[in-house]
This record gives sequence, C-alpha cells and structure tokens, in this order.
Amino acid sequence: MKRREIPGCFAEVGIAPPPRKLLGRPAGPAVDVLEGAVLARCPSCRNTFSTDRPGRQDCPVCGKPLVVPEPPAAPPTPGDLAPEPAGTPWERRAELGFFTAWMQTLQQALLEPGKLFASARLDRGAAQLGFAVLNTSVFWALGQLLERPLLMGQRDQLRRILEGMSGNPDVAPVVQRLLEAQLQAGSPSWVVALALLTPVFTFLLLYVNAALTHGIAVILGQAKRGFPATFAACAYACAPLALLAVPACGSIVGLIWLVALTAVGMKVTHRISTTGAAASVLAPYFVLCCLMLAAFGTLTLALRRAVGQP
Amino acid sequence: MIARAGRPSAHALAFAGVAILLLAAAAVLPLDAPPLALFACPFRAATGLPCPGCGATRAFHYAVRGRFCEALSFSPLATLVAAACGAHAVWTVLRLAGLPFAPRLENTPRARWVAAIALLANWIFVSVQGRL
Repeated sequence: MKRREIPGCFAEVGIAPPPRKLLGRPAGPAVDVLEGAVLARCPSCRNTFSTDRPGRQDCPVCGKPLVVPEPPAAPPTPGDLAPEPAGTPWERRAELGFFTAWMQTLQQALLEPGKLFASARLDRGAAQLGFAVLNTSVFWALGQLLERPLLMGQRDQLRRILEGMSGNPDVAPVVQRLLEAQLQAGSPSWVVALALLTPVFTFLLLYVNAALTHGIAVILGQAKRGFPATFAACAYACAPLALLAVPACGSIVGLIWLVALTAVGMKVTHRISTTGAAASVLAPYFVLCCLMLAAFGTLTLALRRAVGQP
Repeated sequence: MIARAGRPSAHALAFAGVAILLLAAAAVLPLDAPPLALFACPFRAATGLPCPGCGATRAFHYAVRGRFCEALSFSPLATLVAAACGAHAVWTVLRLAGLPFAPRLENTPRARWVAAIALLANWIFVSVQGRL
C-alpha cells in the first residue's frame, strides 16, 4: 500500500496494509490500522499510532509531545470543480423581473439552448413547469386570436362542407358526431373552454412526455442525473411553442423544434452523448406521434368516406 | 424496495395529479363516443400492426372499472401502468399525511433489461392476441 510522507518530520501519514495480508493476525483492526483520520509516527520512539485529530498531542507509546500536521486536502473531484448553476433567467425571475426573465429564457432557448440547459437548476421543477404551462397557454391563446380573423374565409368554407355532409344519412354515427364537434369547435364558447383547459392539457402532456422520455432514457442507460434533469429538458423545450401564435404553419414548426430542443436538453442536462440523447427523445415521440396523429388520421379517413372516395 | 423518505417532491405531487387526471378521464369518458372514439392508431392503419401503445385506452377503461382480466387482455403493460397510477396517487396522499416511506426504484442494468423485455413482450402480446 502507498504511504504518504508529510513534510515536517513530525509524523507520517499513510494507510496500513489490510489485515488479510498479515498472516496470523486477527481480522479486526490492528494497532497501526487507520482508525481515525491519519496514521502518525512518533519522531522520538518511531512507533506508529492512529489519531483522528491533527495538532499538538502526546505520543501514546513514549509520552513525548509531538505535532501531527494537517493532512493534505484531497484533490478536488471534477464534480467539486463544476460550479452550481446559477439558474436560467426564468428561475431568477425574482431578481430579473417577470417579463424580462420570460423573454430572456425564450431567447436563450431558441438561440442558445446549450447555455440555457447548462444553467438550469434541477431543484426548480415547479418553476420549469410554470414556464412550460405559461408559455404554451399564452401563445396558444394568441394564436387562436390571430387565426380567427386571418383564416375566417377558410373556416367558413370548411363549415359549409361539413354542414352539407352532416345531413347525409350515409355518414356513420361516429362521423356525424365528429362533424358536429367540428361545427361547434369554431364557436367562441368552445374557444374560451379550450383556452381554460390548455394549462391542464399542457401540464398533463408535459409530464407524460417527460415520463416517456425518461423511461426510454433509463432503458437505454442514458438517464444519468435522474428525472429532474429530463423534466428540465422537456419543460424548457416548450419554448418553441411560442410559434403557436403564428397562424397555419407555426404549430408544425414549433413541434419539430420542440423535439430537437428536447434532444439538446437531454444531452446537456444528463451530460450524455448526442446519439444517446437523440435516441432517448425520438423513441417516445414515435409513440406519442401515434396518439397525436390519431385524431387527424381518423378525421381524414372519415372525410374521405363521407365524400365517397375509397 | 421501500426506503425511508420525507415529504413527496414537487414532481411526485405532480405525477400524482397526472395519475388522478388519467384515471378520472378513463372512468368518465366512454369508449364509443368522441373524443376517445376519434382515436385510431395511424401506425396500425399504415402497417396493419398495432403500435406499442395500442390497447392502452381500453386497458385503462377496464382497469378503472375493476375488470382486470379484460384490461389485461387488451394490454398487460397498460394495465400495470393504470395500477401504478392508482398506487402512486394513494401513496402520495399517505406520504402527505405523514407516512415516512417511499418506493425506491433502482436503475440497474437488470432493471433496464426487464423494462425493455416487458415493453417488447407487451407489443408481441398485443400483436398476436389481436383483440384490437
């Protein structure tokens, strides 16, 4: 075993050989086995003894005074060297101000995602949830307000087609209900109801998404820092949903950006490879896509059947 | 594995909320009316094979009604998830009331293999059983 010499000639610090190497000795701690913080050797009688405190003391063998020096500090580990992240602007909104923090977080998420995820604190899950819910709800509502006047002509045309089909007796009952739901969906009361339910849906989908992503990451051995790291990645990845405010193509671009940003977030927060992060993120989206596209697929099939196409 | 634990974390509380929402939705929403009736798996429509999540809606629907045999026949894994949702919600309430224990899942290679095999086995079961 290695022995470390302490400069100063007062004492010697080291680790004694384990008992199994000393034949005929009991398996319990030997006289010179390190029991306290250090092993020391008396400079007068040359006997070794263990002590759990540095400083002035008497040799337990010869009784002469000696000084046990402070053991050298252990070399810092890489984990110790990494400073505690200061938190994202949103997590520091108390000092930055609500609106400034929100805008800075959005800006960093969209333009400097690595910096944002590196500064995220894993003990601020509630703040991260708040960011995702607020961002998605506000921009979805804004998108509804903008979409209404801009796409009014298209909506009216669709409504006329649906009204024509809803009177058709050949259309299946489920499709009838679907058409009625489509007709109702454009009404102001529905828009208000959906706006009120959006935070609930966002909360639900965020946790389901984070749980699926984390589950796949665990199976692939990529979940290095626990669920809070995955949650931070998924929550701040909701930033591109600001594009929900852009009518027509905004939601599609926002969703694709969200997937890419989740992968970046997983890479940074879990400190894993790009491949591992991409695999962890894309696998659950494969499952989620099935669920999210289900309604659209059914609608398309129903409309085709209703207009008589195969 | 059960270990000593303090009060539930924010994420544990949120997951309990999510679990209650999912179970409540499964209990309230009928399978043969919108919005659940509108769900059709596009993967299955395109390939003829069910996706890993197929049958989960029905499994939740029957599990919350206590019809576990039917739930298991649609998706064993989703039935387990539904049971886990209920157990987590109840356990979180108990922890809020002062229970100082919580389940602790070890992230070991064996656990990862078991999870992957369970996913795959469930997919094979759903594909072969063909009740969907």
